[in-house]
This record gives sequence, structure tokens and C-alpha cells, in this order.
Amino acid sequence: MFRRLREPWTDRQAAWRLGAVSCLVLLVILLMVVFVAVKAWPTLSNNGGVGWLGPGEDVDKQMSAMLTTSRHPDSSVYHLDAWPLVYGTILTTIVAVGFGLVFSVLAAIFIVEFAPEWLRRLVVPAVRLLAAIPSVVYGLVGILVLVPFVNEHLISAERRKEVEYVVQLTGTGVLVACLVLTVMVTPIMIAIVVDALRSIPTAWTEGATALGANRWEAMWTVSVRAARPAIVAAAVLAGARAVGEAVMISMVSGSRGFSPNLMDGLTYLFEPFRTVAASMIEQVDGLNAPAISSSVYAMALLLLFSSLVLSIGGYVAKLPMRRQGMRV
Amino acid sequence: MHLSRRRLAALLAVLGVAAAALPAAASAKSTITISGATGSEPLVALLAKKFVKLYPGKYTFRIAQGGGEVGIADAAAGRVTIGNAARDPRPSDPAGLNFYGFAKDSFCFDTNPANPIPNLTREQAIAIWTGQVRDWSQVPGAKVTGTINLIGRTSASSLPPLVESLLLGGKKISSLAALKPSDGLVESSVAHDKNAIGFNSSYYAHQKDVHAVAFEGVACTARNVKSGQYPGVRNFYEVTRGPAKGAAKKFIDWILKSKDARKIISTSWVPLVG
Amino acid sequence: MSTIPRSVPPAPAVGGALLAGGPQRPYRPAPRRDSVSSWRWRHRAAYGACWAAGLSLCLIAVAILGYMAVEGVQYLSLEMLVTRPEPSLDQAQTGGILDPILGTLILTVMAILIATPLGAVAAIWIVEYGRPRWLARTIESGIEVVAGTPDIVLAIFGLAIFQLPLFAPLSFTADGGGVFGRSFFAASAMLSLIAIPMVFSATREGLLQVPAHVREASWALGKTRICTIRSVLLPVVRRHIATGSTLGMGRIVGDTAIVVVLLGGSLQITPVGDVPVLDVLKGSGSTLTTYVYNASPAGEGNAPQKAYAAAFVLLVLVLLLNAVATSIGKRSSPLEAHS
Repeated sequence: MFRRLREPWTDRQAAWRLGAVSCLVLLVILLMVVFVAVKAWPTLSNNGGVGWLGPGEDVDKQMSAMLTTSRHPDSSVYHLDAWPLVYGTILTTIVAVGFGLVFSVLAAIFIVEFAPEWLRRLVVPAVRLLAAIPSVVYGLVGILVLVPFVNEHLISAERRKEVEYVVQLTGTGVLVACLVLTVMVTPIMIAIVVDALRSIPTAWTEGATALGANRWEAMWTVSVRAARPAIVAAAVLAGARAVGEAVMISMVSGSRGFSPNLMDGLTYLFEPFRTVAASMIEQVDGLNAPAISSSVYAMALLLLFSSLVLSIGGYVAKLPMRRQGMRV
Repeated sequence: MHLSRRRLAALLAVLGVAAAALPAAASAKSTITISGATGSEPLVALLAKKFVKLYPGKYTFRIAQGGGEVGIADAAAGRVTIGNAARDPRPSDPAGLNFYGFAKDSFCFDTNPANPIPNLTREQAIAIWTGQVRDWSQVPGAKVTGTINLIGRTSASSLPPLVESLLLGGKKISSLAALKPSDGLVESSVAHDKNAIGFNSSYYAHQKDVHAVAFEGVACTARNVKSGQYPGVRNFYEVTRGPAKGAAKKFIDWILKSKDARKIISTSWVPLVG
Repeated sequence: MSTIPRSVPPAPAVGGALLAGGPQRPYRPAPRRDSVSSWRWRHRAAYGACWAAGLSLCLIAVAILGYMAVEGVQYLSLEMLVTRPEPSLDQAQTGGILDPILGTLILTVMAILIATPLGAVAAIWIVEYGRPRWLARTIESGIEVVAGTPDIVLAIFGLAIFQLPLFAPLSFTADGGGVFGRSFFAASAMLSLIAIPMVFSATREGLLQVPAHVREASWALGKTRICTIRSVLLPVVRRHIATGSTLGMGRIVGDTAIVVVLLGGSLQITPVGDVPVLDVLKGSGSTLTTYVYNASPAGEGNAPQKAYAAAFVLLVLVLLLNAVATSIGKRSSPLEAHS
């Protein structure tokens, strides 16, 4: 057989063979979706489809009860009310992408327009560096530097007393998690926006300047406006990264299935929570329990679905721009 | 030339497949997999190390943690050879399991060294752990002020029900408690937080960076376990599916009968006789 | 194809030229006599905000890198790099980080050996052949889906697959018949999935930049398409494949979720069975990322100092890989010489 492979391939043979190898990747993806859906089925069926996403009892208690069941538990064990987790995911993603987008656009404008050459040579490698840092290092810095700082200096004893009958404040929580997540997603967005801003033909901005606009106006009204599809793409990419971030969040978020309450005022920033992805990685040891296993696969299905939703959202956001004749 | 190359390739492929499929039983070493209670894991690790030294080249151990309940479930499902259990068998356990008790252990409340409470009465412990009392200023003997941080265990552990029944008079631990998946994590959380209180097996509670609290005036030591004065006592079991066979049987028999094993257990625990 | 300017270097998958650091188009020089003090206050505020954003970016990067360097180098020693780690409550006895380093190397090599051929072949097929069209577009979307999937989902999926009895030879099987499903094989298979999109995009960019006349000349001389690919195009896109692979390696080295789930969580490399190389690959172990995770207050260990040291080694490794990728990307292609 090897001799036949070593003879010169004809184009038709080559198309078949190379195509088969390429289809392998497609097969893996299809397998992934099918497997995850099949394994998630018990949770989906016992909770009425998407009922497990709603609010209800303490999700920590429910998942703890699932850990110690027999191999064939009855269907009440599969009951899950994972709303606190979904809420935590939505909260961190919106905050991180929102703040990150503003910060990225400003930083991108700085890099492209306002920075002197010597400073640009420092900022661009800084962006590259931040994009390359693994998430576990971000988590380490968060848990060893930011969390003790918040715990000792920002959370006063009175604040702890306020919520002492509801939840324990230990420094991990919304503030640190959102902060570190913003820093994590920003470099990717900056890179995309900078690329887009620099691909705008200089004739356009020069035209704006000729009509009397200053540097900022020319940049904002012409380049940034023309780069809107890229900004949307950057937001979608950052959103996908933020939704799927498991390790760093599990290190700095406090790991409680608790929905931080806006009515608590500033204490909201210090309350612990957990996201869907962080829950998955923390339940890795308990995956032998059937109820935990199907709950985790249901969460995986949710994450897959959310990536899809983000892409569609990006497409929908770019539609109005297409009507203006922009090449999106 | 082509023929010999083709033959060579076929031979290599056959060898490769044979090597990959070589069963572990064909080798001289047997592997004993253990998972379960984090409280008994230090003791089992010591016993395993001594066992391997006594019979060199014959046995390897893979010891994982996960919690006492997970150990029993793993043993019942055949995922591990031996499960480490840290509580007495219950009627609700899966059928067909054999529990071999080999040691007695104490478990204590521990606090940060900055807050070395000398003693907790039952009423004080209940008030703290059910969440009625939330501030250290209301606990006599406390050296810190502020909100009490409760550090508990997840339900994969056998320890919380034992703490509730033996030390807290059957009252439930408050849902405010942070849930840590292992003894080691409880110990490190308490060591890093001045306002924390947790419960640990004796091995972890007597580490240098935490302070073990006496209960009802009785210190949490192996001597008080032997004399029966300290109420927070539990048994360590090795659990197998069906009677222990082969390498597992050798290991468990050695733990139960040999003098070396008794010596190791007697260092910080109490060997179970018989 | 012939309208693509030949002097544009390869733009890797995400983030384009900025992240790869290749030669870029010149930045627009600031026009003179436009002093900021003449602007409206709103524009001046925006100018200040841009400066603040840029400077804080620098500060954050310097702070993180500086802090990691100071803390990491403090606790790093040559002895730590070659000692095996030991599970112990006492930080002084927890040993070194040899096994995590070996684990990282083994996984990276294995994963990239799987990812590079798959990604390159997929790109070649899509660019050079690509019929039927719907299949080519589906494969492209599929690879994008994989690129956008969170790594924890890939990890859970890998666990489902490798715990099947079909894959029992690839990991450890317990006495009762339960397949452990976690081993170097499993982890590297899933890690290759996160590197494939990078190799794919880099190779595709490289192939798209080859002008049509080069291919046409080769066909005119009587070579088939596949021969052209092998003898003319592959040498040209070799460095694109290398760039993609190196960027993929950077991602693999830094990935934690897949390794935490699929590598079995034992601190030392624990071989399974007796066959020399296969026993390590079937066994479990740790990598630098799981070591950092476990040694931090979020994991088992009480060893924040060792965590810093390991994180520093990890950071140096990742930055080195990215620098290598950048430098490979900067070298001029053999085609540009005669454009």
C-alpha cells in the first residue's frame, strides 16, 4: 500500500485524499455537538428543555445533592436551577466587553493617531504581551494580589456586617473578576481595531482634515465610523472569549452560586458569584455522578449555543452597516 | 527494495499495535488505584509508601482524593480498586461493598493562629455554625473582631454529616459556609484568613499554620480519642466491591495485621483492633 | 489573485498584523500646526482619554510582567527546574517543577504533531481544490466554530470521547472496567484542536498570497496540481505553516482548562503499564499551567511562591514562542525576491 502512496498522485486522487483529511476536522465538530447534546439530554428532559436556566433554589445545594447519588438516580435529582450561573456569565461578559470596547477604541486611536513614534514602539509590544499571557497567570495575579488588596483595604468590617446573614465577603467577587476579565479581552480587541483603523485609506482622513476637522474629529467621524464592522467583530470575539473563560474566573470569583444583588449598593461589587464555564471546571472531579455529568454537558451545550448566538448577533449588528455600502 | 520496505512497514505496524495493546497484567507490577476521603489520604499515602518499600517492584499505587462519598461511589462502580471511606457504612450505600476498618481519627474545629480560641462549648459551636452568631465579638475567648467566616466542605465529603451529628447535636451547618472540596483547602483557607473557622481531620487540624480548638473542654488529640473523651471521632475504612482480591487483598491484610502498619497508624491516629 | 500586492506579509488568524509584528504600512504622520489647545473642550477630553488609555495599557503590561518577574525570579532556582515535585503540605518539601515542564513539552510536541498536518492539509485542499463548494465553505465554518469554542467545552467533549471503551488502550483502565479517559493522549488530541485553526489560517493566507502566475507557469510546464503544490507551493508556504504552528504552540502551552480535565491531575508523571514510551503517554501527569493552578490558593497546594516561579517559566516560554513566530513571519518569502 505504501508503494501506491509514493507514486505520483493524480489530481483526482489528491482531491479525494486531501478532502478526506479536511473532512476529519468537520467530523470532529459534528461529533462534538452530537455527543454533548446526547449526554446533556437527561438534564434537558427532566427540566423541561430550558427550564434549568431559570431561578429557583440554591444551585450550590442542588449540585451538591447530585454528587452523592447512585448510578441510576430518579428524575427529581436532575432538577437544576442554574440562573445564578447564567446571570454571573451575562454580568461579567457585558461588563468586560462593554468597558473593554470603550478602552480598546480609545487605545487604538491612541496607537494609530496620537502616540509619538517612540511611545508607539512601547505600546504595541505591550499589547502583544498582554494578548499572549495565559489565563492562569491572570488568575494567579488576581488571586494573590488583587483579592487580598480588596479584602483588606476595600471591604470594611461594616460592609461585611451588612450582608453577614446572606453571604460571606472574602475579597473574591464581581469587582476583581470583571477587572481581570476586562484586561484579558482588551488586547485582542485593540489588535483588531488598530488593523481596521490603519486600513482606512488616508485620503479619507486627509479629506476631513482639508475640510477643517482636527485630528480627533477626523479620526472619530471618518476612521472609527468606517471601522465599525471591525469593532463589532472585535466585540463578538471578545464576548466569545469572556463567555468561555473558566480558569481565571474560578480563581477570582468566589465560587458561590449566588446572584449578586444590585439593591445592596456598592456591596454588589464584592459579592461572590460563579459563571457557567467556571462551574464546569469545578465539577470535573464529580463527573462520575450521572446527574452532575448531564448538568455539566447541558452547560457545555449552553456555551456552544452562546458562541453561535454571538456570531449571529455580530452578523445582525453589521447588517445596517452593509446597507450603507460598507464592505462587511 | 520495495518488497522489503513494505514488509518492514507491515512488521512495524504489527509491533506497534501489539505494544499498544499489551495488557498491564502481562507485566509483573500490579496497580492498585485508590480514591476517596481527603482526611484519610495522608495516612493511606504513608501506608502505601511503606508497602511499596517492603515489596519492591511488585506494586504501584495511584491515589486520588475526591472525598469520602466519591470514594465509595467509585469503588461501587469499579472505577477504583479500593475506596477510602471515612464514615461507617450506611444502609443507603450500594450493595456488595466490603468495609475494612483500620483506624480511628478525630476531627476538630480549627481557627487561624491569630485567633486561638481555647475552647468551644456545644452551644457556642451550634450558634456559630448554624449562622445565629455572626460576629467574633460575641464569642468568648476570640482574639479578633469582625464577621465570622465559615469554611465548610462540599457534599462529596463524609465529614459535614459527622460534624453535624456528633458535635452540633444534629443541627445543620448554615448555607453561608464556603464549600471547599478538600481538607487541605479548608486548612489553607483558615490559615490565610484571620476571621475564619473550619473543621478538619486531625492531620490537617494539627498543622502549624492553624489552631485546633478544644471541644467541651477536651483537646482534639489521639489520646483523647483512645480514652473516648473526645466526641468527634470517626473510623477510616478501605472499601472494595466484594471481598478484596489479589493485590488489594494483600494490601488490606497488611494494613490490618502487620506490625509496621500499626506503627505507622499509631503516629497520629488510633489503630482499630481486629 | 494577481491583484494581491506581493509585498504584504502573511496576516495570521486573529488580530492581524499587529499581533504578529510583521512589517506594517507606515502610520499616518500627524499634520503640523494642529495644536491640541485650539480644540474644543470635548475634543480635548477625548484626546486626554486616548492618552490615558494608551499609557494605562503600558502600565498594566509593565506591572504584570514586572511583578511576575520579580516574584518569579525570586523563588526560581536551577535546582527547582530539575527536581520532581512532591505532594506535601509543607511548602519547603514540595520539590521542583521538573514533571510539569516535561508534561508541557510532551503535550505541546504531540499536539502540534497532530495539528500541523491536519491544519495545513485542510488549508491546501480548500484553497487549491475546494470542490464541492458547499463542502469547502462548511469546513471553513467548522474550523471557525472550533476556533470560537471555549476550551472547557472541548475538554468535556474529550472526556466523553476518551471514556468510551473504544479508546481504552489510550488511557488507564481500572479493575472494575471503568475507563479513566484521562491521559497524555487524550489531552494532546484535544489540544491539537485549538491549534488547528491557527495553522489553517496562516497556511491559507500564505497560499492566497502566491500570485496566480506562479501556479499557471507550473501547470504550463505540465505538472499536475498536486505536483505543483508539493514542489512549488509548499516550499513557499513552509514559513507560514511554521508561523501558524508556533502561534498554535503558544496557545497550547498556555491552555489550562483542557489539561485540568484531561490529564488526570497527578502531580508527577505517572506511567501506566510497562511499555517504554507508551506508558508515559497513557499515563497522567501535570503541566506548568495545572501546577500553577494547583499551587495557587485556588488549588490544593499551599505554595504561592512555587506558583509564581512556575508562572514565570510559563510566561517566558509563551513569550519566547510568540517572539519566534514573529521572527519567522518577518523573513521575506522567496517569491518576493523576483516581484
